[in-house]
Amino acid sequence: MRAWVSVAAFFGGVMLLTGACATSEQWAEWRSHTTHFASGTHGMFSLRNNNDGSNPKVSRTDIEAARQENWWGKAITVSPEQIFQN
Amino acid sequence: MSRFDPKVLGGLLLAGVLTVAVAPALAGPEDALMPIEKYTTAKAKSLASVHRARLLQFSEEIYNCMPWLSVYPGRLGFPKDLDSKGGDDRYLSTWIFIDQREDPAFAALPQDRQVSAMFSRYGVDMLRRMAALPEIVEDGNVAGLSVVLSWPKPGTFGPGKQAINETFALFVDKATLSDFLAKAIPAREFTARSRFKLFDGEQLVGRVPLEVWEDSFNSTYKVANYEPPKGVQCQ
Repeated sequence: MRAWVSVAAFFGGVMLLTGACATSEQWAEWRSHTTHFASGTHGMFSLRNNNDGSNPKVSRTDIEAARQENWWGKAITVSPEQIFQN
Repeated sequence: MSRFDPKVLGGLLLAGVLTVAVAPALAGPEDALMPIEKYTTAKAKSLASVHRARLLQFSEEIYNCMPWLSVYPGRLGFPKDLDSKGGDDRYLSTWIFIDQREDPAFAALPQDRQVSAMFSRYGVDMLRRMAALPEIVEDGNVAGLSVVLSWPKPGTFGPGKQAINETFALFVDKATLSDFLAKAIPAREFTARSRFKLFDGEQLVGRVPLEVWEDSFNSTYKVANYEPPKGVQCQ
């Protein structure tokens, strides 16, 4: 009985550690990325940059326009009344 | 001959109408401020009026220097926590949307880890920036600071899917935030003293385990080739 408990504890520990490592790796991968910005990675910028090779400047208006193009419809979001009182 | 050819004039008018109809509705820095008339108490209206210029400056800073973020229209101001008991405690608050693309590594994290990551990355920096507005924070009518973060829920944005935002709201008193930013108290004490909750779309998830760690992304990230308007200095 004691041996069975030890084996179970061993495998339980291995599974826990494996799970923890996977989460750490996933976290490290996300954290190491520096391009999380959705609109900033939009094709518009790279197309514009590649066409004339001059790396034209990007303005906030360009970014807003890219955001509009990426728009997937109205997202369900909590209403302010569920968080605040005015 | 008429000075304006009717065909040319008609074409110009049509082009104008189409431009107005097609152009995306862009919200400027001023739209981020909660309109004074929407506040329900004299104290809140006074705060909004007295600090309007500085709040607008703060909104412009976000708009011009952090284009990966946008402030929820009308949600930069001095609301009260819905869960506060009695009184009229007003919080300097900013609600930001984070324009984050789909990322499998992020999606694979447990929900509380995602929340911790987003708060550590964006929430702490926004609180730090708000705490650096002494003329507002030192106002005796400001009880504390609040940051609300919304980001795309992994796997919900794309053709044929119902897009959902997850939203995390945090309220903290001024002393606790000051101590935390000065590293006088550990992160676990900061979270223990703060009130916060998570929403999945419109559904309340509630208080989730929150870890806070150092993340300099929001204060160091630069968008390639992005140029703020002339005369704007970004720090």
